[in-house]
Amino acid sequence: MKADELKSILIESGATVVGVGDISPALKGDIMHLKRAVSIGVKRNLNAVTVKQLIMLQKKAESYLRQKGYRFLSIPPDSDRRNGKFISRLYGLFCHKTAATCAGLGWIGKNGLLINREYGPRLSWATVLTDAPFEPDEPVVVSGCKDCDLCVKYCPSGAISGVEWSRSEPFPLLVDYKKCDEFKKTRRRFEKKPNCGVCINICPYGRQKL
Amino acid sequence: MLTEEKKREILDRLKNGVIQYDEDAVREAAQEAVEFGMDANEAIFEGLVSGMEEVGRLFEEQEYFVPELLMCADALYAGLDILKPHVKKMDLGVKGSVVIGTVEGDVHDIGKNIVKMMFDVAGFTVYDLGRDVPLDKFVEEQLRTDSDLVCLSAMMTTTMVGMQKVIEKLKQKNPDVKIMIGGAPVSKELADKWGADGYAPDANNALKEAINMISSLRKMRQEAEANRIEGR
Repeated sequence: MKADELKSILIESGATVVGVGDISPALKGDIMHLKRAVSIGVKRNLNAVTVKQLIMLQKKAESYLRQKGYRFLSIPPDSDRRNGKFISRLYGLFCHKTAATCAGLGWIGKNGLLINREYGPRLSWATVLTDAPFEPDEPVVVSGCKDCDLCVKYCPSGAISGVEWSRSEPFPLLVDYKKCDEFKKTRRRFEKKPNCGVCINICPYGRQKL
Repeated sequence: MLTEEKKREILDRLKNGVIQYDEDAVREAAQEAVEFGMDANEAIFEGLVSGMEEVGRLFEEQEYFVPELLMCADALYAGLDILKPHVKKMDLGVKGSVVIGTVEGDVHDIGKNIVKMMFDVAGFTVYDLGRDVPLDKFVEEQLRTDSDLVCLSAMMTTTMVGMQKVIEKLKQKNPDVKIMIGGAPVSKELADKWGADGYAPDANNALKEAINMISSLRKMRQEAEANRIEGR
């Protein structure tokens, strides 16, 4: 079964990238039956509109799958996880970045972010797991960062180790999140800037040419 | 005007919305039920709960798994939030107040939350102590609220033993209190041995037990309704 119809619905509705990943090797327990991940990426504006758009797209995917009689489990964007729902306990079972690499939409960069060849780390993600037997896209299995270490060099907290991700080594220690957090906290105190974002802005993939 | 046909349609939408874990559809139907002045009790029991009964069946037949079950429960709550303020208090013939929690050392509370939901639906006043609850807290809370039912949940054999102590203490302080225990390691034998009044070994069975309870409550509600009409 091809996923083309669902993909074009989502692209027409404003998704920047859409892919379908075979996630069966990574599944266990209660979500064993949901063997495909529909990964949806939207260009990030770092504001509420991006999140709203992702939720809208997620709902489009849900109603498409519901109509066809398939099961699904939506993993909402990270900034829209309401606790207190029964299902929110399961959101942690599968992460957007893994789904996106399985769906061939990018690799996990040295900065720990999902890097898309065209848009770099400038996408926000939502994921819909499903039992629809879609033909999966070709997964990305190695990092495309190679020799580039701009984010490693310029990270103001020195938190990025410079190790490269690959599918066979999926959880190396890429970023020391403690250092990153500490830095942001201090900075917030002095500059009132809520975030840092150097590792996003410096990434040459998808950076707009001036 | 709420015609019989319209009523049927709304009830079906509530029911199917729960089965298909479609929160938006449930919300819409519940809103409409309120706008049409439909009896909220009926919307809850003949719509939402009737859908959850079907979900229980699907879960039991392993057609549905835990994620679906949880999303259905969320959909039910979405409808319940809208309908509950419109429920007319009705005497069910049972005093509805229950203390519920997962015992000390245990943080597994999905089963407990599902059972809690069923009590919520039935219109019980639920005192939810959450998870990892110190044993004495159950006794204190029962005395404080004068609840007639206490539900204890544990998912591990190591924490389960705490239940026996709670049951002892509860029965000592108040012999009339009814106690239900639940969780994977619990058995009928243990429940009997420890003096619990009811038990449910897993989320599936807890759901079934709770649904059975709701179903019989529903019957009582229908009977009460019938009596009320006859008595006019």
